[in-house]
Amino acid sequence: MSYSKENVESIVNNGISRRSFLKGLAASGVLSSFPGGILQANEDLNTKIPYLGEKSYQTFRNACPRNCYDTCSIKTYVKDGVMQFIEGATESTYTRGGCCVKGNSYVKRVYSARRLKYPMMQVGGKGSGNWKRISWDTAMDIIAKKLLEIKKEDGTLLGAALTKYSGNFGITHYGIEGMFNSIGYTTRLAGTPCWPAGIDAQNLDMGDMWCNDPEEMKDSKFIILWGVNPASNSIHSMKYIYEAKKKGAKVVVIDPVFTEAASKASQYIQIKTGTDGLLALGMAKIIIDAGLHDQKWLDANSKGYKEYKAYLDKEIKLDNVSKITGIPLAMIKELALSFAKAKPATIWMGYGMQRHTNGGSMIRAIDAFVAVSGNIGKYAGGARYGHLNTWGFNYAALSQPKPEGSVGYTGPEGAKGEFAQVGGEKAAYTDRFLNINKTARELINAKEPKVRLLWVACKNPFAQDFDRNQLIRAFQQLDLVVVADQFFNETAKWADIVLPVTTQFEEYDVNVSYWHYWLTLNEQAIKPLFEVKSDLEIAAMLSKRMNQLQAGSCTFPQSVDTKAMMVKEFNPGIYEQFGIKSWEELKHGPVKAKAVIPFADGKFKTPSGKFEFYSDKALELFGSALPTYLEVRKPYDKFRMTSPHTRWSLHSQFQNLEWMEDVHPEPYVYINPEDAEAKMVKEGDTVAVFNKQGLLRLKAKLTDNVQSGTVLMYEQWYNNNIYNVNELVDDTSSDMGAFKTGAPGVALHDTFVNFRKL
Amino acid sequence: MQKAFLVDGSICLGCNTCAMACKNQYHQDKGILWRKVREIGAEEYHIDNNNILPTLVSYQKAPKAEMPMERFYFSLACNHCENPACVAICPVGAHTKDPETGICKHDQTICIGCGGCVKACPFGASKFNEKMGQAEKCSMCWERQADGKTTACVQSCPVGAIAIIDLHDPKYKEYANASPIGIDYAINAETKPTTRFIHPSMPKEVYRLPKG
Ligand code: SF4
Ligand code: SF4
Ligand code: SF4
Ligand code: SF4
Repeated sequence: MSYSKENVESIVNNGISRRSFLKGLAASGVLSSFPGGILQANEDLNTKIPYLGEKSYQTFRNACPRNCYDTCSIKTYVKDGVMQFIEGATESTYTRGGCCVKGNSYVKRVYSARRLKYPMMQVGGKGSGNWKRISWDTAMDIIAKKLLEIKKEDGTLLGAALTKYSGNFGITHYGIEGMFNSIGYTTRLAGTPCWPAGIDAQNLDMGDMWCNDPEEMKDSKFIILWGVNPASNSIHSMKYIYEAKKKGAKVVVIDPVFTEAASKASQYIQIKTGTDGLLALGMAKIIIDAGLHDQKWLDANSKGYKEYKAYLDKEIKLDNVSKITGIPLAMIKELALSFAKAKPATIWMGYGMQRHTNGGSMIRAIDAFVAVSGNIGKYAGGARYGHLNTWGFNYAALSQPKPEGSVGYTGPEGAKGEFAQVGGEKAAYTDRFLNINKTARELINAKEPKVRLLWVACKNPFAQDFDRNQLIRAFQQLDLVVVADQFFNETAKWADIVLPVTTQFEEYDVNVSYWHYWLTLNEQAIKPLFEVKSDLEIAAMLSKRMNQLQAGSCTFPQSVDTKAMMVKEFNPGIYEQFGIKSWEELKHGPVKAKAVIPFADGKFKTPSGKFEFYSDKALELFGSALPTYLEVRKPYDKFRMTSPHTRWSLHSQFQNLEWMEDVHPEPYVYINPEDAEAKMVKEGDTVAVFNKQGLLRLKAKLTDNVQSGTVLMYEQWYNNNIYNVNELVDDTSSDMGAFKTGAPGVALHDTFVNFRKL
Repeated sequence: MQKAFLVDGSICLGCNTCAMACKNQYHQDKGILWRKVREIGAEEYHIDNNNILPTLVSYQKAPKAEMPMERFYFSLACNHCENPACVAICPVGAHTKDPETGICKHDQTICIGCGGCVKACPFGASKFNEKMGQAEKCSMCWERQADGKTTACVQSCPVGAIAIIDLHDPKYKEYANASPIGIDYAINAETKPTTRFIHPSMPKEVYRLPKG
């Protein structure tokens, strides 16, 4: 038998399948035009839907907007108004035709029976579980009236707070902040739990966080993956690392954990947690002493090299470096010297490394080492951390004027976050900023006026924020908590009103990455299911209701079209950078920004215009002008707990899906066999992991992937499991973050616990 | 020609993208995976509850492989055997072996759900779907291949750790007899499985902190 097209078609048309999902959905494609959408999500989408041939589908461009390095460009295949399957876009050399395990679960995510379908109100009070379905009109009426009541009683809207973060990084999703901008001066949970200490470090050193194109790594001669695990969390970067390795480059992984990336490297070096900065300082000293530093580059492009070298000479003793990091001196020397001799060489620094009380100082020390080696401003070189270089959109959805006569906060002004730092006109008032990394505490402590309404969007605080018990108290004392989400998660359980929001397949948006340099259009591929609405539409409905109740009380457009909003985000700068004339060109596939080597021209955005080993700003803000060695937080319990990201989820997203449960059903705590033996814990035993914050029960796996003295649990939200690693994390700050993101980060990996067999 | 999967355990990330890409394409019900990413050194057939295993052919015990937990993998689906048990046992001809490509196809419109193939396949490739009362398995995305595309799993793998090769091409001779390491796998089964393996290895240099 041959594989002609006709053959496939005839088989398909003669009904090769099947009591199929497709059939059911084809029918509902007709039905879904009815209000309420009869399109029922089915827990089981009966196997097997046939592949019908490229021409049988309508295709749409989408992007994965989650907080992921890879921000995949997606091609969505739709038939009769129903999503059938997705593929990674082949036009992007980065995505190269495939998503990840999470991206490939999107069809299930959209049609999951677990999705939020209607606006709901918890009539029995927060946490009661007594829910009632309400209409959008009722929901908007309750919220609008509450906002106006707050304004009337307090004279300001500072009693209304917004917490929003990385659930969807699409540009129009800043319209959620726009909604809050449009009602007056409000309270914002500001800062970022993610990467702030490193952002500050890079800004102090180079005046910007601006990494080289990851695709260049294929031509690097030496790669250090320092505290980063792309084999799990940026899988599309691995092909470049493999290519470099194949061409003879050495790939070294420095990490306290023997990670997936470590298992694929040329060399793995285990390090004592929190001593990476010292290792980098030692490595710098070694190459300077060997005369392998790039004196010419340093003379032309740096400030304070002399002071830095004096510090290394005086304070950094190599024997000490070896002792404290736990790495033999000969190995450190070999590593430093071979890095310095290979050109171009590059270091990729992970975000986990800066989630320590000395995190920013460690990133600064590594930046300095790369600078000394002469690899900054070079093709396939660089001190890589991330970038926001392609994020120069209009932020039109974000930028909404305040209603006339709005009264706000008059205290000191803070920054607003790392992505959209769009400065408005200098006003007499500002919003009030609370530290997102201390959400519970800050909500409780905020006075004059106290916070009475909290809006949660693109965020799941009960999974991601710290100090759960305090968070429950904080939520309970609020008059009204509104949660806009796709799933009924733990945060929704503590809400008064939940609003069902669209997936990216049900709305327009535009997406870029903080790692690669591609730009992707996100088209509406299917009609929104059930009664779900986009965050922008919700803002418009709220505006409409507020204006009905009190004309002029909200400036947000009263009806929106996500496509029109998306178009407004483009500007000539973006077109120029990506070499396109119109956003419509993106319908043919993602495009890449014109190649630029960061800092190749020797121009840094620091006050001196140079790479600053010595930074006055650092001295002023953090007490040390130079990248120096700072000791990490002292243990307060028996074992260090580290809670890295896993491949199965993006923070609290994806693990809850039925399909993900098939490949990864439950959480584990990973314990070093030596520690397990001391506690008489065997493989598969259920253990209690506990500290002053809380207690978790889960199964143990024994492995020397984790070093003795450390236990590892991944950060995830499961659908039917109360497991949440952040219950053990307190909200101790990392050293940096306040400079550029409004608040310091969290020292997540400086958490300490004990465990015992149950 | 005999189309076959060549799985490269030396670069496989264990990311499960391939397994999920297959679900994305065919919407297998919860609990069913046509492609499974199997961890080297951690056998897990016993948790695969839509197969009755082992039945007709007993497994070859895996040669010992001392690999760190959750770091090294082989991605496996149907092996598109040269002498397939599923084809032999099916009473209605729902399983066929394509003479041109060697792909073992399963056709659900014909399947009567007797479950013979589920018992006969020594690899657990044929799954029984309780809801539908029918068997199902990987048919090497033959419709996609016929349409000029590659399989969903191959296309989605971020590092190219699965390739489709022609086993009869002398170029792939070197892979012919490499049994997989660290997973129970009936490489010598009479069905003559066609999947071939590239073995992983630990990094050349591994430094771990001294104990204590
Ligand atoms: S989670 Fe990351 S790798 Fe996976 S599909 Fe989304 S962007 Fe791609
Ligand atoms: S074969 Fe590819 S897609 Fe599958 S687990 Fe391995 S690396 Fe991931
Ligand atoms: S692996 Fe099993 S199902 Fe696949 S061809 Fe061989 S016998 Fe048939
Ligand atoms: S070839 Fe197709 S059906 Fe077979 S495992 Fe891969 S994606 Fe699934």
